[in-house]
Amino acid sequence: MTAAEARKGTAAPDPERAATGRILSRETRSSRAPAAVIAALLVIVVAVWALLEVILAGIDQPAWLLDPQSVLHAVARFPEGADRLLLGAAGAVLAMAGLVFLLNAVLPGRRARHVLSDRRAAVVVDDEVIASALARRARYAAQVTQEQVMVVVSQRSAVVNIRPTSGMPVNVEQVRAAVEAELADMAPAPLPAVHINVTTAGVVGA
Amino acid sequence: MNGTPRLLNRVLLAVIGLALLVSGVLAIVLAAVPAAGPWWQARTASLLAAVDDALARTQAPGGGSWLWFAAAAVLVLVIVLMVAWVANQGKGRADVLAASFEAREVAGKVVISGALAEQALKAALAERTDLVSSSVQTYEVQGRTGLKIRLLPRQGVSPQALAADVSELVEALDAALGVRTPVLISIGAGTRSKLGRAERVR
Repeated sequence: MTAAEARKGTAAPDPERAATGRILSRETRSSRAPAAVIAALLVIVVAVWALLEVILAGIDQPAWLLDPQSVLHAVARFPEGADRLLLGAAGAVLAMAGLVFLLNAVLPGRRARHVLSDRRAAVVVDDEVIASALARRARYAAQVTQEQVMVVVSQRSAVVNIRPTSGMPVNVEQVRAAVEAELADMAPAPLPAVHINVTTAGVVGA
Repeated sequence: MNGTPRLLNRVLLAVIGLALLVSGVLAIVLAAVPAAGPWWQARTASLLAAVDDALARTQAPGGGSWLWFAAAAVLVLVIVLMVAWVANQGKGRADVLAASFEAREVAGKVVISGALAEQALKAALAERTDLVSSSVQTYEVQGRTGLKIRLLPRQGVSPQALAADVSELVEALDAALGVRTPVLISIGAGTRSKLGRAERVR
């Protein structure tokens, strides 16, 4: 293995690269574990109650809350015998919960993270960390205090908001060059585009 | 980097979500559209009659219908499957980092505990002043064990420099242990790093 190969990571054995790729794809997407646990608990609660009622019906005992056979009859006769308002409201709640679960299943669920290339390990960085690193560079380039810089990093853009000190103009190009140099050094994938906003109102006494 | 069954999560969420959505919309339509009531009753009447008939025919002497017990068995199966589904979330923590079955020089088997790598890396990371906290855990990935290194740096720390340093630590660990395992370095922001002072030294 030559040094150049090692630096690019091309000499790594294939199963290891496959494992790294799999780790990265899992780490940048939500696992849907919370929604899965909530859905499973809902189903368990309903199923345990139904189990109790079904067994009570099986041994010919009075039902606890509702007798399953009369539930079937009531559902089959809807909307007769039911309060329309209550039925509609219950339906709305059910449909809303179903929609949330369905969207959780279908949407990509990308997390606010970027991938850094590394020759040994799989590296993921939360967008907040990238933002605070960019904010530090922007702060030094603009010569303002920490509170005067706010950076928001999303999948494809990094927005740097600067409130200059009153009477001391900020050199936008210098800030842009500094932030872009830091981003180029970091090389997060995907690479966000830099936008610099300087507010017209300055800060007094900073 | 754990064994959460992601595809299964999405498939089951889609099934449960679709079932809830369809029944909810049906209830709204039945409540709001007057013409829907007779349509629904006509469609369910024959089904209901068949169910009532089956329940009456399977009536056990001195008790209810045994069909209820069949339904109970199905429900028990559903409950067991749901519990198994929940138990699989976040699974995959491992104890053993590497085990050698074909060691030639020594008799027996060499086992490297995950705790060794965890302790070594944690001790090395504890010296860094640009970290608020760090944690190292051993996980199973695709039948192989891997390390997950979670770092919470102070504000303003360059993640690429941190990742490069930790990556060197991992390579030193590789050399010390003689095995290469998949490694994930996850750099994040916790509440303590958000509220803490900014890094001014680096």
